[in-house]
Amino acid sequence: MQLLNQKLIFVSGKGGVGKTSVSKAIALSRARQQKRTLWIEFENPTHPNSDIEAISPYLSHLNCDATRAFEEYITLKIGLSAITKIFVQNKLISYLAKAGPGIHELVLLGKVWHLRGDYDHIVVDMPATGHGLAMFQSIDNWSKLFNSGPLHRDAENMLETFHSPEWTRHLIVALPEEMPLRESLDLSGFLLRLFPKNPAAFLVNRLFPRVSETATNLPGTPDNWPTPVAASEMDYAVKRSVLESYNMRIWRDLGIQSLELDFIAPPPRDSFSFIVEKLADQIGNKGFL
Amino acid sequence: MTPATIDEIIKTRRILITCGTGGVGKTTVSAALAMRAATLGKKAVVITIDPAKRLATSLGLDTLGDHATDLTARLKTASQGEISGTFSAIMPDTRRTFESFVTSLSPSPAVAERVLLNPIFQIFAKEFSGTNEYMALERLYELDQTHKYDCIILDTPPSRNTLDFLDAPKLLARFFDERLIRWLVLPANKIVSIGMRKALQLLEKLTGASFMTNLLDFASALFEVRLAFTANLKKITELMESPSVGFLMVAGPSPDAAPDLKYFTQSLKEHKFRFDGIVLNRTLSHLPLVRTASDQVNSEMKAALDIIGALREKESLAIRELIAPPVATLPELARDVHSVEDLYYVAMALAHNSAGS
Repeated sequence: MQLLNQKLIFVSGKGGVGKTSVSKAIALSRARQQKRTLWIEFENPTHPNSDIEAISPYLSHLNCDATRAFEEYITLKIGLSAITKIFVQNKLISYLAKAGPGIHELVLLGKVWHLRGDYDHIVVDMPATGHGLAMFQSIDNWSKLFNSGPLHRDAENMLETFHSPEWTRHLIVALPEEMPLRESLDLSGFLLRLFPKNPAAFLVNRLFPRVSETATNLPGTPDNWPTPVAASEMDYAVKRSVLESYNMRIWRDLGIQSLELDFIAPPPRDSFSFIVEKLADQIGNKGFL
Repeated sequence: MTPATIDEIIKTRRILITCGTGGVGKTTVSAALAMRAATLGKKAVVITIDPAKRLATSLGLDTLGDHATDLTARLKTASQGEISGTFSAIMPDTRRTFESFVTSLSPSPAVAERVLLNPIFQIFAKEFSGTNEYMALERLYELDQTHKYDCIILDTPPSRNTLDFLDAPKLLARFFDERLIRWLVLPANKIVSIGMRKALQLLEKLTGASFMTNLLDFASALFEVRLAFTANLKKITELMESPSVGFLMVAGPSPDAAPDLKYFTQSLKEHKFRFDGIVLNRTLSHLPLVRTASDQVNSEMKAALDIIGALREKESLAIRELIAPPVATLPELARDVHSVEDLYYVAMALAHNSAGS
């Protein structure tokens, strides 16, 4: 299933579902096809550098910082001059840029938008559900609040790009657990209200091996099992695969087609880069791109 | 420091705040903590922001929202015995809390209305990161003032990292920075420098005139509520710094959680808040290794056992490297927690897999 051919891929979802590793794996997989690819994170506090850094010949990384993006944006708008410097360093302006609701979000997504021509593909690791959605919402809000002037036009153009199915794919990642699966539906509903012509695609991450579709000695659905506990590793493996398949009905019943990534047995340490490599292998082998 | 048990922590603190990143099971642990407190004779309540829908349904929270729902009878059924305390739950409506918060700060209903109708405020209320967090604290403070409960568990809103919650008051306070609002409120003031005037002109050019009107209006409304807000912030901060309040971190059993844990405990120390320990959730090490000869299992089962083995290895590494032994360890369950019965199981596990016991 090729659902990820667009230039811009926004990877959203509930906290803890693996957005960071999935988004980086998609970017890596593209880079392996020798496409110039940029993987973007927003304000990752453990990565202080906010320059675009080359990871490999085709893959680059940006940890986008709002204060810097704001300065760059203003410079872009009013040109580099003494006034620009006074403006961005003005206490009131920096107060508004930092504390002003949504300005943060606006300049971060603005940065993604401005970079769109520089790469074959850009994959963005969005903040968790509510915060991620708020980012798109804020452009919409600002395009209405700034009723004229250059900021209004830019917000409108950004919305148009993120709304276009030719340009942009919104990908919602979930785990085969009840909460993430349900939350993903809420998220796709909110996104659809903002971008009615560009419905999101779904990906379920960390699918446990299908040991068994049914637990023969267990009654009915998982809620009817006599105990919430597993008796052994093998019992756990059976129950988990039954539970996941039961949980997936939340999407199945709605006819949602989703991409699937299998659970990867992690190494004890530094599992992130290992998992990214393995996920990129899966993305390549399964023909998602 | 000898780690206290969960029961000791519940007896020591009037308020427990649970923190942790998304997906670690914070909500389940919070509800289970309140349940455990009720079995110890406490008048316990959990303030939960975002429970799983079916858990909310089974707790009777889906229709209620902002009021405390007494769930003691359900707990009695689940425990099949007498409960000496009470167990209630609240799912606050953060938007409503914010509106009544603004109304309570405002010197007059007219000012409150001006704030609430301002389009910038409406975005602010919905999306300013920090609002939900601060409103959770506000609701906590309010509830504590009623003196109806002697154990309040606050389940913090989901956020990117655990520090967001601690930083929320500071973020919101920055918004009320008096000197800066003053510049907006009194732009014609002679004190305003040429640089400031230029900056405002440029801002207007970029954003359009009606935005500036809204901004100035919003700022002058903020200016009127700033003192009340500052007083409120002080009360909340004092409560959080008091020995009645403890913080628990809920974490998954992986060494990858270590940096977050380190930042969190450091940040608590800087804020002068009290760290009560780590609840390690979803552990697998309790599972007996009942394995058949490898030629008898299919390849899917082999893959599953490999994954479980790898996770167990990560888990033992995580436990060895923890900054302190966990105050409680909760086993991974074979299904999602949706019923009061399963929650009761977790509450008992919290006490029985607690440090020292």
